[in-house]
Amino acid sequence: MHIKYESFVREPLVDGNKDYHQVSEDIISPIERKPGRMWYIGFFFSIILLCFGIFSVSWSVYWGLGTWGVNRTIGWGWDITNFVWWIGIGHAGTLISAILLLFRQGWRTGVNRAAEAMTIFAVMCAGQFPIWHMGRVWDGFWVLPLPNTRGPLWPNFDSPLLWDVFAISTYFTVSLLFWYSGLMPDFALIRDRAKTKLRKRLYGLASFGWTGTAKGWQRMEALALVLAGLSTPLVLSVHTIVSFDFATSVIPGWHTTIFPPYFVAGAVFSGFAMVNTLLVITRKILKLEAYITIGHLEAMNKIIVLTGSIVGVAYLTELFMSWYSQAWGEMEAFKWRIVGPYWWSYWAMMTCNVVSPQLFWIKKLRRNIPFTFVMSIVVNIGMWFERFVIIATSTYRDWIPGSWSYYSPEWPEVGFYLGTFGLFFTLYFLFAKYFPVVAVHEIKFVLKTSGDNYKRGMQPIEEKSAEEFIHEQEHHHAEEHAEMAHH
Amino acid sequence: MSQKQYWSDLQDLNNIATKNEGAENEFKEELPFDLSDSVLGATTPRRDFLKFLGFSTLAATIVSSCEMPVRKAIPYAIKPEDITPGVPNYYASTFADGGEYCAIVIKTREGRPIKIEGNETSSITKGGTSARVQASVLGLYDKARLTHPMADGKEATFEAIDRAVKAGLAGKAGYLVTQSLMSPSTKEVISQFIAKYPTVKHVVYDAISYSGMLQANEACYGKRTLPTFHFEKANTIVSLDADFLGTWLSPVEFSKGYAQGRKISAKNPKLSKHYQVEAMHTITGAAADERATCRPSEMGMIAVALYNAVANGTQPSLSSPALNKLVTAAAADLKKGNGMVVCGTNDVNVQTVINAINDKIGANGTTVNWVTTSNYKQGIDKDFADMVAAMEAGQVGVVMLHGVNPAYDYLDGKKFTAALAKVATTVSFAERLDETAQKCKYIIPDHNYLENWGDAEPKANYYSLQQPGISPLFKTRAFQDSLIAWMDAGQTYADYWKLYWTTRLSGQANFDQALQDGVIEPAGEMANGGAVYAGNVAGAVAAIQAKKPGTGTEVVVYQKVGIGHGGAWSNNPWLLEMPDPITRATWDNYLCVSPKRAKALDAELTGFTEVDYNKRVAKIAGANGYTITLPIVVVPGMHNDVVAIATGFGRDKNVGRAAASDATKGGKNAYPFTSFNGTNVEYYSGATVTKTDDKYEVAITQTHNSYENRPVVHEFTLEEFKKDPQALQKERAEEIGHYSGLPWEKHEHEGEALANPEMEENYRKNGTLYPNHPYEGVKWGMSIDLTTCTGCGACVVGCMAENNVSVVGKYHVLRGHEMHWIRIDRYYSGMPDDPDTIQTVFQPMLCQHCDAAPCENVCPVSATNHSSEGLNQMAYNRCIGTKYCANNCPYKVRHFNWMDWNGADCFEDNIFEDGRRDDINDDLTRMVLNPDVTVRSRGVMEKCSFCVQRLQEGKLAAKKAGHPLKDGVVKTACQQACPTDAITFGNVNDKESAIHKLRKEEQVERTFYVLENIHTLPNINYLSRIRNTAEVVAGNEKLDGMYTEHI
Repeated sequence: MHIKYESFVREPLVDGNKDYHQVSEDIISPIERKPGRMWYIGFFFSIILLCFGIFSVSWSVYWGLGTWGVNRTIGWGWDITNFVWWIGIGHAGTLISAILLLFRQGWRTGVNRAAEAMTIFAVMCAGQFPIWHMGRVWDGFWVLPLPNTRGPLWPNFDSPLLWDVFAISTYFTVSLLFWYSGLMPDFALIRDRAKTKLRKRLYGLASFGWTGTAKGWQRMEALALVLAGLSTPLVLSVHTIVSFDFATSVIPGWHTTIFPPYFVAGAVFSGFAMVNTLLVITRKILKLEAYITIGHLEAMNKIIVLTGSIVGVAYLTELFMSWYSQAWGEMEAFKWRIVGPYWWSYWAMMTCNVVSPQLFWIKKLRRNIPFTFVMSIVVNIGMWFERFVIIATSTYRDWIPGSWSYYSPEWPEVGFYLGTFGLFFTLYFLFAKYFPVVAVHEIKFVLKTSGDNYKRGMQPIEEKSAEEFIHEQEHHHAEEHAEMAHH
Repeated sequence: MSQKQYWSDLQDLNNIATKNEGAENEFKEELPFDLSDSVLGATTPRRDFLKFLGFSTLAATIVSSCEMPVRKAIPYAIKPEDITPGVPNYYASTFADGGEYCAIVIKTREGRPIKIEGNETSSITKGGTSARVQASVLGLYDKARLTHPMADGKEATFEAIDRAVKAGLAGKAGYLVTQSLMSPSTKEVISQFIAKYPTVKHVVYDAISYSGMLQANEACYGKRTLPTFHFEKANTIVSLDADFLGTWLSPVEFSKGYAQGRKISAKNPKLSKHYQVEAMHTITGAAADERATCRPSEMGMIAVALYNAVANGTQPSLSSPALNKLVTAAAADLKKGNGMVVCGTNDVNVQTVINAINDKIGANGTTVNWVTTSNYKQGIDKDFADMVAAMEAGQVGVVMLHGVNPAYDYLDGKKFTAALAKVATTVSFAERLDETAQKCKYIIPDHNYLENWGDAEPKANYYSLQQPGISPLFKTRAFQDSLIAWMDAGQTYADYWKLYWTTRLSGQANFDQALQDGVIEPAGEMANGGAVYAGNVAGAVAAIQAKKPGTGTEVVVYQKVGIGHGGAWSNNPWLLEMPDPITRATWDNYLCVSPKRAKALDAELTGFTEVDYNKRVAKIAGANGYTITLPIVVVPGMHNDVVAIATGFGRDKNVGRAAASDATKGGKNAYPFTSFNGTNVEYYSGATVTKTDDKYEVAITQTHNSYENRPVVHEFTLEEFKKDPQALQKERAEEIGHYSGLPWEKHEHEGEALANPEMEENYRKNGTLYPNHPYEGVKWGMSIDLTTCTGCGACVVGCMAENNVSVVGKYHVLRGHEMHWIRIDRYYSGMPDDPDTIQTVFQPMLCQHCDAAPCENVCPVSATNHSSEGLNQMAYNRCIGTKYCANNCPYKVRHFNWMDWNGADCFEDNIFEDGRRDDINDDLTRMVLNPDVTVRSRGVMEKCSFCVQRLQEGKLAAKKAGHPLKDGVVKTACQQACPTDAITFGNVNDKESAIHKLRKEEQVERTFYVLENIHTLPNINYLSRIRNTAEVVAGNEKLDGMYTEHI
């Protein structure tokens, strides 16, 4: 048993009367049952969206990027907006699993598995955009530093786009490993419970022969720590490097040194919102309210209000700096962002990202599930606009007024974006069906310290006065000593 | 095989059998991998599996790699003597389209013309060209050209048509209608033809008529001709509605001359003074120093006011104070001598008054030359009107039409068509099935001018020879050959022409020389002289005053700089896609309307509506009942009571796919808005304009009109420039001086510092953390003079022709996908509601070839990089199309191949090809492509290369000749096309080069670099715009409403 004593004032992390078996039952049994109606409907629509996305992308690859609305002035539109948006969403998982692990935040146990899965799927979605936005995608592998017979030609290590390639692939690899190593004991659990041969064999393979020995657990803990240590800088570096795409350029509105922290805060902000969106639905459909509690959601909401405020400060700092620099390019760029033909995107961003999360200062709202759900969507709309504002409304009115332009997406761009939702939810539905959406072994790890019933068991002790407790403990010890002596 | 066995050693001898076995089995050793059936079951399955995996992936990659099939490359079986593959041939020739003259040189490669250049030997056009001249080579490969003669709409033989026409000609009254002809030999053929058929009359018909001027000159000077205007000699130029830099008479010639008076430097701070009065906004108005607007019907009154002010010192009392001020100032300047007045109004009375002014100010014999007269236009409006009347009356048996299309461009095309139906024998020499040719019984398509022999006499005693660059592509026949055939003269025009010139030039040697030069000109300066004025000014003034100016809305019918009067140009995709210099619109005509008027029509121009291409449609109802709907394009600088519509649009589908007018593009015909006043065709009329609820997309390439007082353009008045020529350099020092020294050094901006070469050098070094890259040897640089640039667009089309720049069609221009490597940004300043305050400036914008190029470092695959000569170069094959470079280009001059424009892609059947682009990928049209320049495939970035193929060719030639590259030997296509020599290009490191001298000596004061503040270190500099006026309004908080309202 976990020997940490947890104060009674802390909210339980697992609600209801749970024991180890019940935890396994609650979390694993949906995998063993046939999925419900809702799952089939959801999965069907996800596949439809995915197919539409594939069609849209095929269309743009076959006919060319002229099927998109981007133009000579605004070279990146929905494509890179969506890329940064998805990458941002993909930050929550690692933040939860790595940084919160290092900070020993017990409440992460209920949400980390789903959050990590979401990270991986979001990064997969994000990766589609830089690939398919290339004019000659079939030559895209030229960005890889592979020995070759084309010269040999090497990629340009000065290009932030190249740094992106490394940053994202590293992040994806580490996140995947982290996620998977945590899944092994749970796969083994499913294997051990399995009643069909096929399930036994597949989960057996997936669990890499996990036997649950003490050595195994010890190594897994060590691996988790190492990977957490590796991914912590990655959480910060990935979005920092993504922000370099813009920060190292010469376009006012892009050329900003505040971008790395601002992007990271924004990423956590949107990632947590996305986790909330998914958890609110998942806990309901899979009936996991006991494991993903309101307390979990509240903790997430607290981080949302914190990062939302950081982002808000960043927006204001940008405005201040553009004025303080007294550089005409900067000042004009921000003016046109706010009052130009794209004014609505700026104000949508400000409303969704800065104003509305402030409502989470109110505890009642933080713990209100429908409100949390709505806010999680509002935040992600806001964060989408943030990326659109940075990308499109910086280039649309840049240095030379003669080249100013405007941009609206065409259907293949929209289709591509919807397609990534299709991809994301297809994967998520498969995950929800075949993978334990809550980390069983981690829940069990905290169950006896933070489980509702166990905490209730502590109640009589809690109610004792300090003196009484000390006395009892000493007495207890004395008895023990006597017993030992007796032996 | 012989039975003999050879052996190399004894072992060999013993084992000859074994050896054979060995020879058969070349690979004696076991193959290093297992060939058993089951890969996984093999002895070393994992390693082999990986090998197979690697091999199959590689094989699949190689097999599926795109490879373009070679298309129809046919080698010469017998190589023609003069043609070496890869080496261009040049032929001097002549461009003459209905009186529009340009001496040209045709560049041919492998026997096909691919580029037109100006002929520098000509003292008239002096090597300049216009957008139309540049684009004319594409007309040769126009798919809409007729490929064979036709009778009654069916293919026929020349012989059959000849028989029928000869029969038709016999004894019947007939008309031969041509456009203005400058060709002496053609005129000779026509006179012989008329001698043979005396019942035939020759009528000259011009779509855009200068009849009023011709008739006035006849009345005033006894010569029905046009003078030569020496813009280069004029200190004061007053133009009443004459767009002499864009469309009036001979814009290339005039631009060359005009630019001489606009070349200004601190050492020689002199500018001609140019007054412009116009109803709409032309590029000539944009170049003017003082500009005021009026109604077109008021132009006569203004001419009279100017005459009175010049002759009697009378104060003008015109409809606006701006006009009064302008006329007073112009009159005062004209009286100082070396003045000139030109007028674009086609009204004999107004032109009589203009002649009187020129006579009064002593222009005749100095700036207006009556000795060396011009032959550009000969059409008399009345002649044609009389002919139509005769046709209507059924008095005409034969009509032959050459180079004219009255069914489309006559003021009453329907009336003409109806009259034509009453003529028994109608013959058209049209090169395409245009609106008139469709109504003719016989069509004998004429050669394209690049396939034909010919000549021109643009000015008295100035000749220009026309030689073909290619044999006729189709079954066509020279117009002259048809006449000769019907005369039964039994020779060809080519023979006739050669004989004509060898006789005139007395000998083959002279003829050969003339053919090589392209022009035959008298030695020395052009003969100049005046003429005795004998016009009836009082009568003309009375006639003008009797005609009251209009009160309602007036619609002006004007020519676009690109398309002009219409004709074949309507179907030229290069011209259709060339943005109009003023409106920056492509592929359509539209209703030009002032901002104030637009508000009333619910089409207000604001910083928000400017980005909406979907324009409000207005209904225009002419006085004659002709009603059309057109989208509204707001043009600041238009008179508030005037709307304008361009000619050349609203064409029939048989004119060509690009020209065809339909619901999505192609505009409407503007000619029916012209009217006939009994003597002359007037290119305006009263009309009512009402708004509709419809919208229509207009493909405009520039949304924003003000340069927002940014240091992108620098403008000064002449006075400011004279007083402080260094103002610009102080401003630059303010901007870059601070960064020219290291932080611990003394900053150079302290005190009254000037930007100078040393500061530039220090800024280059110290404005960055990166090491400075030295440029030894050649370093290319360009300078663009904003004062002489007229925005005419010749460079844009010249660049398209030289560099195979793709046409993208209206649909893609609408989405900002146009490909022009050089664009001409046009900025307005002034109060939008007051057209007389508008000042306009043009800025050609192309790749600046930055030495610290922001595009270069962001490319993940190094597809764009810097050459040791300072060129920012694109390796198309290396590009994967991330578009990052285009985003990071502060000048936005990089163009992405959004679609497969040219079939250079490896996907099948995905070429973007709809009717809008006129079969640009047809085998025929593709013949225009320059083989020295890669045709870019879809998905790669492209941009200006400084015509690197020309630079390489020049360097190679210099290397072969064993001397360093001489300045002026290589020219970029834009530089060569420019009729005002606004572009200077060369090796900056060459101390003798024009560009070096310009930057370091002659134009130090006017030189600036665009966006110098971001340390891009461009290799293109600009020279400030100097206006010979009282005030530059741009950026002035009180005077520049375009800036304060951000339109």
